[in-house]
Amino acid sequence: MAGAIIENMSTKKLVIVGVVLLLFQAFAFMVGGLIAPSPTTAVHYLATKCVDNQKGHQEGRKWFMPWGPNQCDKIRDFDEAMAKRIEANNIVFSVHIPLPNKEMSPWFQFMLVILQFDIAFKMYNQIEDKAFVTIDVSLAYRDDSVSEWTEMAHSVEQRKLSCNFTTAKIKENEGRYYECDLLPFMEVGTVSHKYYLVNVRLPVYERKKVNVGIGEIKDIRLVGIHQNGGFTKVWFAMKTFLTPSILIIMIWYWRRITMMTRPPVLLEKVIFALGISMTFINIPVEWFSIGFDWTWMLLFGDIRQGIFYAMLLSFWIIFCGEHLMDQTERNRFSMYWKQVGPIVFGSFCLFIFDMCERGVQLTNPFYSIWASDVGTELAMAFIIVAGICACLYFLFLCFMVFQVFRNISGKRSCLPAMTKARRLHYEGLIFRFKFLMLVTLACAAMTVIFFIISQVNEGHWHWGDYTVQINSAFFTGIYGMWNLYVFALMFLYAPSHKRYGDEQASGDQGGTSGEDIQLTTTITHADGPTEVYRMMGKDSQE
Amino acid sequence: MPMKAEFSSRKDKTTCVRSLAVGHQYSSVASQPVLCSSIPGLVPKQLRFCRNFAEVMPSVVHGLSIAIRECQHQFRGRRWNCTTLNDTLSIFGPVLDKATREAAFVHAIASAGIAFAVTRGCADGSATICGCDMIRKAPSGEGWKWGGCSEDINFGNMVSREFADARENRPDARSAMNRHNNEAGRMSITEHMYLKCKCHGLSGSCEVKTCWFSQPDFHKIGDYMKDKYDSASEMVVEKHRESRGWVETLRPKFTFFKPPTETDLIYYENSPNFCEPNMETGSFGTRDRTCNLTSHGIDGCELLCCGRGHNTRTERRKEKCHCVFHWCCYVSCQECLRVYDVHTCK
Repeated sequence: MAGAIIENMSTKKLVIVGVVLLLFQAFAFMVGGLIAPSPTTAVHYLATKCVDNQKGHQEGRKWFMPWGPNQCDKIRDFDEAMAKRIEANNIVFSVHIPLPNKEMSPWFQFMLVILQFDIAFKMYNQIEDKAFVTIDVSLAYRDDSVSEWTEMAHSVEQRKLSCNFTTAKIKENEGRYYECDLLPFMEVGTVSHKYYLVNVRLPVYERKKVNVGIGEIKDIRLVGIHQNGGFTKVWFAMKTFLTPSILIIMIWYWRRITMMTRPPVLLEKVIFALGISMTFINIPVEWFSIGFDWTWMLLFGDIRQGIFYAMLLSFWIIFCGEHLMDQTERNRFSMYWKQVGPIVFGSFCLFIFDMCERGVQLTNPFYSIWASDVGTELAMAFIIVAGICACLYFLFLCFMVFQVFRNISGKRSCLPAMTKARRLHYEGLIFRFKFLMLVTLACAAMTVIFFIISQVNEGHWHWGDYTVQINSAFFTGIYGMWNLYVFALMFLYAPSHKRYGDEQASGDQGGTSGEDIQLTTTITHADGPTEVYRMMGKDSQE
Repeated sequence: MPMKAEFSSRKDKTTCVRSLAVGHQYSSVASQPVLCSSIPGLVPKQLRFCRNFAEVMPSVVHGLSIAIRECQHQFRGRRWNCTTLNDTLSIFGPVLDKATREAAFVHAIASAGIAFAVTRGCADGSATICGCDMIRKAPSGEGWKWGGCSEDINFGNMVSREFADARENRPDARSAMNRHNNEAGRMSITEHMYLKCKCHGLSGSCEVKTCWFSQPDFHKIGDYMKDKYDSASEMVVEKHRESRGWVETLRPKFTFFKPPTETDLIYYENSPNFCEPNMETGSFGTRDRTCNLTSHGIDGCELLCCGRGHNTRTERRKEKCHCVFHWCCYVSCQECLRVYDVHTCK
């Protein structure tokens, strides 16, 4: 890949490109920070306790509405139920999503619901160790406020209670609540209906020890999380704008490569693959989620993101490898199996994990891998293996970067002894590597810094009359940044025109400006990195 | 009048009692609307509020009742035990007429209770006007669809402020004290909100994280307010002449203590000792109160009975024992007979 545009570009032009990219970067941040609302919203729901008066269910399921017309018979607390002799199996916790006078929209993209129990402490009815709650849940939808509810899903699930009581367990403290961990409840990949209704029962079968020893449940609270419509719109707009930009530069890049006389080298192919995976993320297929009920969109998004990350990590390894400047000839993907292996394996683990969680949720939205002990262990195993792979990868990467720097300093010491052209060639090579190293580090640092800020901060800053949405700025900014990164990579690391033109002429051209010296003119033979290695070989002989 | 609707000066207290009575009546049927005109003693501002926000009124009333319950829980072993009177119009008796610590506590916990219950009411869908539509306007007008709604606690605080502070607008010291204590009560809720987060990024990583504030258990607010009661700051009244007439303000009585912050309770009159019944001060006395023989604290027979001594009698009670509990509605127990010694103040 000798003779990339970046080497042959004058500093002035490089600065201009840099400034333009920075402007776009700032724009990406501003779009998220100033136009978009916060990325997600959490809505509190308190379940209404309905009484199922019908003995035995005739003709299908009956749905219980917490409010509005046809609302159910309610009880305020369980003392009332006790007095009226209502059985636990006849109490239905009902939650209507969303709250009154609002409706859901496909722009919300996904809906994620968290479950929380309010369990009061009672001296003689405490939560037992390793208590499981069995919930009988059903979900229904409808698209106007008068029609019948249509069942979407029904399931009997178990959730593990992990609660602790922070004050002393004495009689005086009866009635205080336990502090319980959040429990996953439901995940739906599209929000294609306007109204949803959740009915939860906590059936008791004393003989089977179902829902025995779970303490005195006072209330069920749900927290519904969905993406904000405004954020989705900004996000889609961004994707729709970025797709053609990356696509065009990709086509331009590949055309340049095919115009050369030699076949493309590995690094060029990898950069091209990176462009493809970026485009794959960019293509705004999410537009379809507005019109179609595609629940697999969430999973598909994960897969696309995973492919890009794997590609990016592989690219870094291969880029370092191709700049090692030792005698080994690489230029083959099989040379990197040791380094790329962990990436592939780690990604595969995460993919399996994701399929187990979000894949199963396609059929049963109440499923959670974390709900059962075996599932938790399995999930942890996948995540730990992926974590080990990540560590392994970073060790390899750091070692490779270290090697490159060692070789660079080795080369640098003998630079003055070389001919001018060769010296400039090496300087170009080193510059190319260091440039990418710097840009990559800057991008990674930006990502990490913004990630930390968005985690630590409350989500928005007030700045005079403006509210800056830090979280949205983080998402759009970082997304824009990696797009620009891939864009810049394809632009700057594309083979230079001067490579496949008349060599003599390009040499003359190069002479016109100080930085534009065409280095490869001194070498009369073929393109490709082999030449670099051959040169290095020569160099070491010298 | 300086105090809030429920516990204001003698004449207004009627209000509070009534509104609470209404509350109990309605508590089991949350959906039933509260008739504003049926609550006597509301000042015009409150009446207007009640009509505009009729659907949050059940929550307001519920909030007052949990506040009273919490007050009684916190003061269960004390000489003043937050006694409420069912048969008279003034629910706490005359004790709140004076600007005492007790009055400060009751005001703070009541305004906290309203904010708490209204916020909770927003979540179960019984009130439709919560949150978004009224507070924040999004660029497209469709606030909810564009950017969601603001936290319900802001709405709860707003309701509490509108309703409880409605009559605290006079320039006298009592008004200033009540305003301060009401605000301290609401602050206690805001301060005790706890943050919960859920990660839902790629494979459930924290790349995307959503956080929200949850309300604490109201007992926690009670504990906190009780601490604030114990450390309440005594103030003195100062009079200034301003263009609109005499204005009373409060300043700390003891300059060597730290001045009270926004979250501290303030008072400027001393409490009676609550030992003997005194209708003037609102003390019901501690006669016939049950005391704890073994305790050396305020609930012990020595202190609670103010040195008058105590009577002891033996009681046999049938109690439930060896129970099997279900989470709801069903307990299977045996009956046991237990013998207790009950000590009551002379």
